[in-house]
Amino acid sequence: MMMKVLDSAIPVACWSCSVAHNESTLFCPHCSKIQPPPSGDFFSTFGLAPRLNIDLAALEREFHRLSRKLHPDRFARATESEKQWSLADTALLNDAYRTLKDPLRRTEYLLKREGAAIGEEHSGKDRRDPSRVPPDLLEEVFDLNMQLEEMRTARAAGESDPEVERNLTEAKKKFDGLLDEVDGDLRAQWSAWDEGSDVDRKAAQSAMVALLDRRRYLNNLVRDVTEAIGD
Amino acid sequence: MAYSDKVVDHYNNPRNVGTLDKSSTEVGTGLVGAPECGDVMRLQIRVNPETQVIEEAKFKTFGCGSAIASSSLATEWIKGRTVEDALGIKNTDIVKELSLPPVKIHCSVLAEDAIRAAIGDWKKKNGVAETVQAAAAAK
Repeated sequence: MMMKVLDSAIPVACWSCSVAHNESTLFCPHCSKIQPPPSGDFFSTFGLAPRLNIDLAALEREFHRLSRKLHPDRFARATESEKQWSLADTALLNDAYRTLKDPLRRTEYLLKREGAAIGEEHSGKDRRDPSRVPPDLLEEVFDLNMQLEEMRTARAAGESDPEVERNLTEAKKKFDGLLDEVDGDLRAQWSAWDEGSDVDRKAAQSAMVALLDRRRYLNNLVRDVTEAIGD
Repeated sequence: MAYSDKVVDHYNNPRNVGTLDKSSTEVGTGLVGAPECGDVMRLQIRVNPETQVIEEAKFKTFGCGSAIASSSLATEWIKGRTVEDALGIKNTDIVKELSLPPVKIHCSVLAEDAIRAAIGDWKKKNGVAETVQAAAAAK
C-alpha cells in the first residue's frame, strides 16, 4: 500500500496569492492567509513525519501556536469563508492533537493509516487467523465475566458476597497490571516501526495489531470490573 | 443501530443458556473470543456416542445483543443434528436469519467458530479424526 504521506506532497494553489504550497498546511507559507481544512493526515497537520516516537513537547507547542493563530477573534474582520475555515481548521487541529498526543490512539491511527485491520469495521478480514485472539486470556476472561455476573445478580437481590468482591478487586489489579505490560510492549515496537527495514516494520506492525487486540480485551474487562465494584 | 426483531427476541429470551459438565466425554466445549469487540462465547454440546447426534447444546455469551442472539440461534440449530451435519452451518446462514448488519457479521463468525470449537473438542476427547485432516490424509 502506498503511504498516504505522499498525498500531502501534492501542492495546491493558495486561494489568496495563488502560490502553490503543501496541501497540509493550515496557513499559506507565502502570504500567511488561512487555508481551507487540508486533506492530509494528522501528522502532516503538525508538519510531522508519520512516526510513533514523537516529540510530545514540540507537538504541544505547535498545537498551542496553531490554536492561537486560528482563534476566531483573529478573523473578526475576515471574509465569511475565512471565518468558516478558522472553525473547521480548529476542529481538525483539535482532532489531530487529541489523536497524536495519546500513545494508544496515535498507534491505532498510524497502523490503520497503513491499512492494518484494527477495530470492528475490519472484522471481515483475518477472521480465521487464530493469532488475533488471545487464547491464553479466554478462560480467564470468561471466568471473570461469570464472577461479574454473579456479583451483579447478588447485588440486584440486595446481597453481597465479600469473597466475590474481593476476587474482583484482585482481578482488577491484575488486569490493570497486564494493561501496563501491553502498553510497555507496544512502546517497545515503536522504534522498530519507525526506523526498521520493511521486514522489521511488517513484523512490528503485526505485533502491534495483536497487542492492540489484547489490549481491547483487557480494557473492556477493566471497565466492566471497575463499573461493577464502583471503584 | 436498530436490532432486528429476531435479534431482540433471542436477546430477551435466549434459548439454551447454561452449562454442561465439561469433564464428561460426551460433552464438547468451545470457548472463543472476538478481538474486535472483546466478546467471549462458550458453546457446549452433548453428543450421543451411538448416533453422534447433538442431543443438548448450551451457551453462555458475554457480549452485545447480536453475539448473544447468534449463539442462541446456533444452539437451536445444532440440537438434533449429527456433528457432521452441524459443521455445515455457516455464519452466513446466521447473518441471514438474524438480518445482521455488516458491522455485526463478526458475531455470527464467532458463533460458527464456537460450534467448530465445541465439535473439535468433542472429537479430540473421543479420538475422532478431524474431517479436514482425514480428507487431507486421503489425498
